[in-house]
Amino acid sequence: MSEVLATPGEASGTPRPTRRRPAWLTRTRTYVWTACAVLLLALPFYLDRFWLQAGLFAMAAAIGAIGINLLTGSTGQLSLGHAFFLAVGAYGYCVFAADGGGGDGLTGLGLPTWIAAVLAVLVAGVAGGLFSPIAGRLQGAYLGIATLALIFIGQHVLFNARDLTGGFNGRDVPPLSLFGLTFDDRELVVADVPFGSAEKLWYAGLVLLLGCALFARGVLRGRPGRAMNAIRDHRIAAGVIGVPVARYRAAVFVLSSMYAGLAGVLLALVFQRTVPDYFGITLSLEYLAMIVIGGLGSVSGAVLGAAFVSLLPQLLTRYSDALPLVSAPGTGGIAPGEASRYLYGAAVVAVVLFLPGGLVRVTAGHRARTHPGEER
Amino acid sequence: MRTTYAARAVAGALAALLVLAGCSSKAQDDDGDKGDGAAAGEVKTGDGISGKTIKLGVLTDMTGVYATLGKSVTQAQQLYVKQLNADGGVCGYKVALSIRDHGYDPQKAVAGYTELEPDVLGFAQFIGSPFVAAVKQRIDGQDKGLVLPQAWSASLLGSPYIRVIGSTYDIETINAVDFLIKEKGIKKGDRIGHVYFEGDYGESALVGSKHMAKESGLAVVEQKIKPTDNDMTAQVAALKKADVKAVVISAGPRQAASLVGVAAAGGFDVPIIGNNSAFAPQLLATQAGPALTKNYYVASPSLPIGADTPEARKLVADYKAAYPKDALDNGVVAGWTAAYAFGEALKKACASKDLTRAGVDKALLTIDSLDTGFGIPQDFTDPNAPSSKQSVILQPDKSVTGGMKVVRDAEASEVAEAYAPGA
Repeated sequence: MSEVLATPGEASGTPRPTRRRPAWLTRTRTYVWTACAVLLLALPFYLDRFWLQAGLFAMAAAIGAIGINLLTGSTGQLSLGHAFFLAVGAYGYCVFAADGGGGDGLTGLGLPTWIAAVLAVLVAGVAGGLFSPIAGRLQGAYLGIATLALIFIGQHVLFNARDLTGGFNGRDVPPLSLFGLTFDDRELVVADVPFGSAEKLWYAGLVLLLGCALFARGVLRGRPGRAMNAIRDHRIAAGVIGVPVARYRAAVFVLSSMYAGLAGVLLALVFQRTVPDYFGITLSLEYLAMIVIGGLGSVSGAVLGAAFVSLLPQLLTRYSDALPLVSAPGTGGIAPGEASRYLYGAAVVAVVLFLPGGLVRVTAGHRARTHPGEER
Repeated sequence: MRTTYAARAVAGALAALLVLAGCSSKAQDDDGDKGDGAAAGEVKTGDGISGKTIKLGVLTDMTGVYATLGKSVTQAQQLYVKQLNADGGVCGYKVALSIRDHGYDPQKAVAGYTELEPDVLGFAQFIGSPFVAAVKQRIDGQDKGLVLPQAWSASLLGSPYIRVIGSTYDIETINAVDFLIKEKGIKKGDRIGHVYFEGDYGESALVGSKHMAKESGLAVVEQKIKPTDNDMTAQVAALKKADVKAVVISAGPRQAASLVGVAAAGGFDVPIIGNNSAFAPQLLATQAGPALTKNYYVASPSLPIGADTPEARKLVADYKAAYPKDALDNGVVAGWTAAYAFGEALKKACASKDLTRAGVDKALLTIDSLDTGFGIPQDFTDPNAPSSKQSVILQPDKSVTGGMKVVRDAEASEVAEAYAPGA
């Protein structure tokens, strides 16, 4: 956690050209952002646990999606192994943080939980680093095939390394505890509103997501980002102008697996239990869907896509009873669960067909049109 | 300049936040609106009851790997609830099921639980033991609603709120091996094969067969398979080479059919016994049908749907009338039994005028021999044990409804009686 948080400070300082006068005060954008921030901060006071949990899933997905977007969207390297690194983060956190003497007989080092979270992210990075000799040499779809192996190895290990992973039943996730505040279900009353784990984690998730987004933006807007785009657009040309292609590819792979590791830690904290079934090939494909739907190569695209992909199925399942043509389960016709899958599929196809650049194009196009007027 | 503006903005936002929070609907009221209505003679109610309706949650799988089971279980429970309401409901309250299909996806299962939990009294169905385990902390720690999982893993035992109905897979497997020893001439020193699924079901069953082997001086030859493995040729060859005298299979119907069919075709003539999920009546129409009726047995936590009891006949007739197109399988019995147990707990809680979650939990603990008409009495008084340790041994038979006939009545072997789950 801390190493991700430490960096955005410097990263966010770079892209701000309007330093002479508080010109940002007169821009509508500033107010939109402020309104969004206040809204996000206020939500835990109003929403049910269901919505907060859905939001937290979306935040964790967004962090993971930013990571894979750096790799796939910006550097052009396809990875199907993202779920593996999520699993490394989630299980790594459990192993580092759990108390080894617990009743379940699983290995645990009993470290303070925030150190465990940091270590879990680092371990995910190391796992990515071990794979980087391959990641540095292969390109595009070939890397995709190679990373597919990670999923199968990962699933095998998760089911069989009983002492570490708890096997098929998974293992409990110790609640995060930071500066004396524990993110568990013990109620903490803030302004008459009882705060359970979802409410507390909401703020942790917001901070992490903001940090991750700013850091990725810094990477993309700086020298490394241009090098990554050069590798994506023309590998040989990039090599000729002096970009160390293999080193960059390997480094981006490590960075993206660390993002995945952090997403895994957050997911584990939300789930309160890690289950091996979750970290399968479908999850990897979902992450690819997120960045394609959101928009390749940009941070906001990854966040938008993550929100779309992780919220839509939950929304559809919840409100499927109210949709037309849907009948109650067991009476024949389309069941709510099926209907939500059809609609989800249709939405994905519609986005890819009509918004080829992803959801981010909607807002970007809008900004391009309105920008000149605003600049006055 | 910038910092002052920013600081002002932040301070303003925080102030707005506090003001807004004051009027949040989530804010706690001091008077507390829960648990009232307990005026003299009235029934005490709490979460999950609004107006004249008791809501029960159902977290099922109709689109994932357990789709067939989930559909049968859910339809049987809907049927039970319909009949219960037609008889006047419980304490004058109607019962309604809130159904969510999680498709065996952990994220949807946990989301479904979170969504339904505040509105329901308890869960009459929850498929998937890893997901039940995932929310176990919340069930035990704060929610305290009764959950009847449709999963028979021994790891779920021990909670006063999560109550497994019928024998767990390990006990069922002990009884299955007991049948092999008593009726099929397996003796001390013999080897038995065990083909099992990776995951909660197969691995729980393996615990049982290993325990039984240790007690009876057998050796277990393990063959672990994945749910995606459909061809058992390699497993049969390996077991044949290891010279096993009998085979236990803890997998799906497809794997069982393949195993029995391949073994019969290769002249590998040993008795094969499966857990209750390792059979589906549809198999009898396949090429493996004749081999299945000859050499295959199934251990089950209840009499089959085609049992010769008045309750079973009534259920078959009602279910056929309600869902004429759907097959009758043991999922119907499992769903019916779970709904029945929940219904009885509600009635008991009603009798003691306490329909809160705590009241229903307490009521279930007093039920010591619930007979749903499927042969095995259920005893819910001990949270550390499954509600029964008995199994019925069935044999596939084309001529019977549901495709199974009883070859050994409900019985718990001595080893199963002495066995402490999870130990």
